[in-house]
Amino acid sequence: MSKPKGVYDNAATGDTSFRRTWDREEYAQKAAERQSREAKERKERYEAKLAGKKYIPKSEVDANAEETRFDDSRMIEARRGRIRLDENLNKVQIVPLGTTGSRRGKGPGYYCEACDLNFTNSLEYVEHLNSKQHLNATGQTDVVERATLEMVRERLIWLKQRKHEQDKAEEFDLAKRLAERKTIEEQERLEKKERKRIKKEETRQKKVLTATETSEQTSGVDVDAAMMARMMGFGGFTSTKTR
Amino acid sequence: MSKTDLPDAKAMLDSRGLYDGPTIHSMNPLLLMEKIIRERIIDSMYWKEQAWGLNAATLLDRAVELQFIGGQYANQKPTPFICLILKMLQLNPEREILLEYVQDEDFKYLRVLAAFYIRLAWPAAEIYKTLEPLMADYRKIRLRTQSGYKLTFVDEFIDELLTKERVCDIALPRMPTRAQLEDMDELEPREPLVSDVDSDEEGEEGEMMEE
Ligand SMILES: [Zn+2]
Repeated sequence: MSKPKGVYDNAATGDTSFRRTWDREEYAQKAAERQSREAKERKERYEAKLAGKKYIPKSEVDANAEETRFDDSRMIEARRGRIRLDENLNKVQIVPLGTTGSRRGKGPGYYCEACDLNFTNSLEYVEHLNSKQHLNATGQTDVVERATLEMVRERLIWLKQRKHEQDKAEEFDLAKRLAERKTIEEQERLEKKERKRIKKEETRQKKVLTATETSEQTSGVDVDAAMMARMMGFGGFTSTKTR
Repeated sequence: MSKTDLPDAKAMLDSRGLYDGPTIHSMNPLLLMEKIIRERIIDSMYWKEQAWGLNAATLLDRAVELQFIGGQYANQKPTPFICLILKMLQLNPEREILLEYVQDEDFKYLRVLAAFYIRLAWPAAEIYKTLEPLMADYRKIRLRTQSGYKLTFVDEFIDELLTKERVCDIALPRMPTRAQLEDMDELEPREPLVSDVDSDEEGEEGEMMEE
């Protein structure tokens, strides 16, 4: 038998394995408690008989105090997730006849199924979820198990693991994005290089053209070369030759 | 039988009859926070929805989610940070549990939350001994105020806790200075853990916030 699911226990946050280990210990502990309670009751019953009194079980004396108060299985679990307060917003709801004016029954706003009550605003609704009336209706008491150092440590370890997993996922995501970025950059670099190459080629060709012209006019930097060519008895020694 | 806590502060603040629960500085722990801010917390959605029913273990879920510290913001809305401080005053966690919180390296907001509580609840010498080593933590934290967000650092925040009278809109219990405690032999002179932290600290207290 496992612990009844708390009303706020949100499966979406998925820390069930964490709870299960507690449940086993709690179960064993509860069983021991029940045994000692029963033994105590037997003793009290016997003593009452000896004294000639009618034995009244404690739970009947004060149903709300001792007995229910320490039933661990009915203790409140802290809310795991946020309460979905927007669930019924922007939704047209049919208000059943005869329920207007009363808070009983379904209506626009927030509805508690367990208590069949309707609330017009979120604060009222949450206050209701915290109320004794609602806790009783959902089989809970208004006490919370006090955390031991061990419980704190366990939870912290679990939260750290969760954080590291999230960080790792983010890191992976980041690495992926960085890799994508790098590919794009590499692409851009290649394109830029290509553009540069084309431009260089164009400039070179222009230069060649100019050089040809100059050599023909024997002016500029090629003067020496042209002179040399003339001296040596042949023309076109310079760049024209490379064409 | 396991021990229990209450889901909220209602019973502890019930003014009928005398308070006979555990005390801090020989008073009802919840009274360490001024009435007006305490009532704003108790009326807040965060308190009712997210702080309700927490114990010292499940409080961690909320502490690691914190995105900023601070007292009140916007229209005197209490921050989740001070809501959790009030929750801790209600729960009055054991010393070992607080050390577990404050010594954790992964969650900086858990650390400053616990540091703040320790400053409120522990004896002076213990406060210095526990909080001073945190001055070597230079991580960034966000502070939310009425006028918006500010950047601060763990070490700076700890320094404020040790030197200022009001932090995060909450009056801190009066506490002797380190020098006074040393004179009373309640505290050993501070070992210079990181020498430059010590020298930086002089004369700069509080002014770093304005940077
Ligand atoms: Zn209900």
